Amino acid sequence: MPSPENLSIDALRPPRHLARKRAGPISPPDKSLSGVIERFEALQQRTESPIAAIRRRPAQEARYADMPEAIDRHLRQALAKRGIERLYVHQAQSWDHVAARENVVVVTPTASGKTLCYNLPVLNALAADPSMCALYLFPTKALAVDQLEEFNALGGVLGSEIRAYTYDGDTPSDARRAIRRRANVVLSNPDMLHAGVLPHHTRWARFFEHLRFIVIDELHTYRGVFGSHLANVLRRLKRIAAFYGSEPRFVCCSATIANPKELSELLAEEPFSLVSENGAPSGEKFFVFYNPPVVNRQLGIRRSYINEARRMAQTFLDRGRQTLVFTNNRLATEVLTRYLKEGVGRRAGGSAAVRGYRGGYLPRERREIERQLREGEILGVVSTNALELGIDVGSLDAVVLAGYPGSIASTWQRAGRAGRRSAESVSVLVASSAPLDQYIVEHPEFFFDSSPERAYINADNLEILISHLKCAAFELPVAEGETFGPHPTRELCRFLEETGVLHRAGNAWHWTSEAYPADAISLRKVSSDNFVVVDVTDGSRVVGEVSFPAALTTLHEKAIYIHEGTLYHVDRFEYDERKAYVRRVECGYYTDAIEHTHVKALETFDGAGLGPAQANHGEIRLTRRVVGFKKIRFYTNENVGDGKLAMPEQEMHTTAFWLHFPMDFLDTLPHATTEKRDGLIGLGRVLRTVGAVMLMSDPRDVGVSTLHSHQGPNALLDPEIFLFDNYPGGIGHSEPLYRLRHSLGARAKELLEACQCKSGCPSCVGAPGELGPKAKEVAMQLASALAASVPEQCAA
Amino acid sequence: MQRAAIHDLETLRERLKAALDQAPGSAKGVVQTGSELTRPRRASPAATGIDGQEVTNDLGRFVLQEHVFDYRATHGTFPLDHLLSMPAQWIGDVSQGRADPAAVDRWAYLDTETTGLAGGTGTCAFLVGVGSVEESGFRVRLFFMRDYDEEGAMLHGLARHLARFDVLFTYNGKSFDVPLLETRYRMQRQRNPLAALGHVDLLHPARRLWSARMPNCRLATLEAAILGFARHGDIPGSLIPQRYFDFLRTRHGAPLGPVFHHNVRDILSLACLGSVVMSSYSDPDNAPLRHGLDIMGLASWLGKDRRDKAALCLYRKAVRAGLPSSALELCLLEAARIERRAGNHAAKVELLQDLSRIGGDHCVTALEWLAKHYEHIARDFARALEHTWAAQQHGESDELSHREGRLLRRIAADRARASRRAVSADPT
Repeated sequence: MPSPENLSIDALRPPRHLARKRAGPISPPDKSLSGVIERFEALQQRTESPIAAIRRRPAQEARYADMPEAIDRHLRQALAKRGIERLYVHQAQSWDHVAARENVVVVTPTASGKTLCYNLPVLNALAADPSMCALYLFPTKALAVDQLEEFNALGGVLGSEIRAYTYDGDTPSDARRAIRRRANVVLSNPDMLHAGVLPHHTRWARFFEHLRFIVIDELHTYRGVFGSHLANVLRRLKRIAAFYGSEPRFVCCSATIANPKELSELLAEEPFSLVSENGAPSGEKFFVFYNPPVVNRQLGIRRSYINEARRMAQTFLDRGRQTLVFTNNRLATEVLTRYLKEGVGRRAGGSAAVRGYRGGYLPRERREIERQLREGEILGVVSTNALELGIDVGSLDAVVLAGYPGSIASTWQRAGRAGRRSAESVSVLVASSAPLDQYIVEHPEFFFDSSPERAYINADNLEILISHLKCAAFELPVAEGETFGPHPTRELCRFLEETGVLHRAGNAWHWTSEAYPADAISLRKVSSDNFVVVDVTDGSRVVGEVSFPAALTTLHEKAIYIHEGTLYHVDRFEYDERKAYVRRVECGYYTDAIEHTHVKALETFDGAGLGPAQANHGEIRLTRRVVGFKKIRFYTNENVGDGKLAMPEQEMHTTAFWLHFPMDFLDTLPHATTEKRDGLIGLGRVLRTVGAVMLMSDPRDVGVSTLHSHQGPNALLDPEIFLFDNYPGGIGHSEPLYRLRHSLGARAKELLEACQCKSGCPSCVGAPGELGPKAKEVAMQLASALAASVPEQCAA
Repeated sequence: MQRAAIHDLETLRERLKAALDQAPGSAKGVVQTGSELTRPRRASPAATGIDGQEVTNDLGRFVLQEHVFDYRATHGTFPLDHLLSMPAQWIGDVSQGRADPAAVDRWAYLDTETTGLAGGTGTCAFLVGVGSVEESGFRVRLFFMRDYDEEGAMLHGLARHLARFDVLFTYNGKSFDVPLLETRYRMQRQRNPLAALGHVDLLHPARRLWSARMPNCRLATLEAAILGFARHGDIPGSLIPQRYFDFLRTRHGAPLGPVFHHNVRDILSLACLGSVVMSSYSDPDNAPLRHGLDIMGLASWLGKDRRDKAALCLYRKAVRAGLPSSALELCLLEAARIERRAGNHAAKVELLQDLSRIGGDHCVTALEWLAKHYEHIARDFARALEHTWAAQQHGESDELSHREGRLLRRIAADRARASRRAVSADPT
């Protein structure tokens, strides 16, 4: 047997090398990280190496600025006691902006001392005026708890007069009154502000009267639907603050994204100053992209990324390195935790040295894990994104990402958990076979070199806007001539008056409903309508949750539902209960739902030529209905049967970016009609993948629908590919897609070229058998035609 | 965002309807169509068909409606003249000193009708009733806003009226009416007049007296059971907000009539129940309570406030008045607790023995207390052990086996000591 140290690295090699290695001499155990890096580098030289990239970031020296003169003497002493005699340059710059009464957004990496950027001005203001108040917003409750400790550690020195509290769903009701009466700093989250604070603002009168700062940490998390909601919550917050005569300033912090200033300005609807020069030191850092080896080229199947991530993590754990493994779902967290516990079980520390961490754990348990990690009591933690945000867990040596987190910001954020200050550290991304993962891992330069992503919101999504206007009217009557954000409210209020929830009296609209409107609005969920999958093979056990739209195509009756490699037959689909009852089966086929989608463009906002095609963006109506399914045999992909289904029709108005392909152009391609059709469908899928990458959005936020040439009212209509916002009313993806249309074509072409499959696989146009053998070829030709188009001068 | 501007109501309506109709989980049918879409016309106040006088003050206008009740009348079976004769000290008693004693004509009985129960800043009190004792009779004034733009004037008028009082009586006002009005005054940027008044929320004392016997302690339940008052044609509280919203749109005042009526009845019941509650608490010997459970409720309330003598008296009275068996046992136990506190061990033991003989839910407790008594007070370990064993018949517990062990040791030690004494006393 090879020594345990060698085992995991060997596992990375193609199997034929194992035998040779086994016969060789056993080398002394190498505990260093650089040893691992060297072996990665050697492995990278092989042909078809799973190591897709290794990037090194040299160590960075700290850059300091002097402590500003204006800082209170006691605060200065408190800082000195904690070893802070000077500030990093970004901390000093943000201080200057706040001192100049500007809103500021700070963009620096994980663990660069961002917290001080807001705590310093807030504490200094409190030193001068102990009645002053500040509101801190964090995306999660855990972060608020964490930051409370941080704040108190520094604020305690200024005396017991300063009172900071978390205020969220966990706050006991008897404590709430005291907090409202006494707090200087309230650490909360947007959801609580929305449903628990603003609708009761009179109880917070003192707080709002003295509100001077609004701190929004982890700004980058507020994109898409969540961000669009937050922008409206902030409109309401500013309105209430104005009622109490205060005009608070904003201090925001964000992980690295391309448009922090734009995002903060979209969210707060005020001008911001940007601080992006990072002065914090960091150690040498390696980032490795690992693509599990292909085991079946034709089907495009690779080795399980979960297993590969386990081996990778084991390599680090065996060297006694503190390692954090990130997964993208709860189940993977649990599976990996179990594997790694078994893996280290035989060694010092035993299985207790590895722990899981995810949303479902009790707060007390999570605090304990954070502390154990910080104090080095445990060696490894497997976590969902719950640990991604700035909770303090100290320095770690290695981070393994099991699957691409979905956005570059998240990836850097998670990787940033490794190597906080001075030590050498390594992060490894283990790609899954999802198209997005494959695109990223096969295009390391995209991830490392191209300009970072942008975060988008659409504060004016009509459905979101109107929901919050209702809440606003509940909070304070809407006066004639008042604007909500930039919008005149008159027409909106008249509409709400017609629906019976507002009533006009005097010069204002008043809330006239018994309902509490904030209860009806969740800030985070696109739809709370998830389907629960219940395995009834023996007893009944919930095995998963599936979002509403996906459920209709994967959980219909008689479907084969595949969950972590296990096949289930759907016995019963309860639409109203939002449940699917499944049973474990062994069968040689899977099912593919036949969905009829109809898209109708309602209004075109803008359009331009893109190569032979026409690109547009605007508003569409989307109708979807699952009408049946096919049974498809594994491996051969033969169609071995089908069935009809009567599922409810789903209709949605949303915004979309679409490409219109004239028949004249398609006629020039030397392919059969069905091949062209397959090519268009394939191209649609590829465009969606690269679109999601460029938008920094969850791939599920963007939908795709391809209309083949179809019979219109008078004539045969040309084919069109729609990339649409998968949220009623749209959340702002379509317009940027339109703007980025030139790179969209180019990136689609790159993806197709780089994919190693012969005629299409799940990582590009789709699994073989699903589409014809020419799909990839046609898609490539179409993409090349799009990519060939030159951006016109005016495109911004 | 480059969006189609929202300027044209027709387009907006189309788009919103589409958006709201298809959003998963959104309540369909929120968008009403048809005749209700017509824009309401504002009628002149006189045309609304609401009785009362229009009052004008610095902040505008509102409607004030007054109702006077003769003291010779009764509310249900309760004679209204009782409301005149309550001593000022009762306020101090019932509020446990939190409100100062005040003469009966300085008491205001308040109740609100609101646009909902959700709370928060979007809920209004559109009608506030205040009842008080006056020479001419018991007078209820109803402050009513005919629309939202009259709220400021109405609240101002209410504040002026409340200035003549020292004490506020409500039913569940602590968690509902008072914070709601606080919010309204804050929203109107007016000083909150309630802050200057002592407050007696009768819900909590009423619960003490009647929760054992009544299915619930809602005002409507108690007024029927305690005051013998039956409401005819009353509007259920849940329908009130919609009545007001309908009024805002139609300006037809007639459907609001029952709402005004409802509020006046609530205030009368509030005042009368207040009298029953306070006279019971301040003068328990003459408490107007007949049912054993009610008397027991009062006894336990007095017991909690350490008025032991009166409480004991009432426990006895409750037993005489008749109690269901479980309550009877509890009554004996509570009485024993008071006797124990007073050091009346003989009386305590008697009560506990009665209780242990009944053999109900509190039998074990009684046996344990007896065991404690014999161990620590009477120092009769053998009897203590007997009672411990008897308690163990009903079920083991750590505490009991602990006691058992200790008693056995003490008995053994006593015997050893006795035998030593016997030996040392032996002349051989």
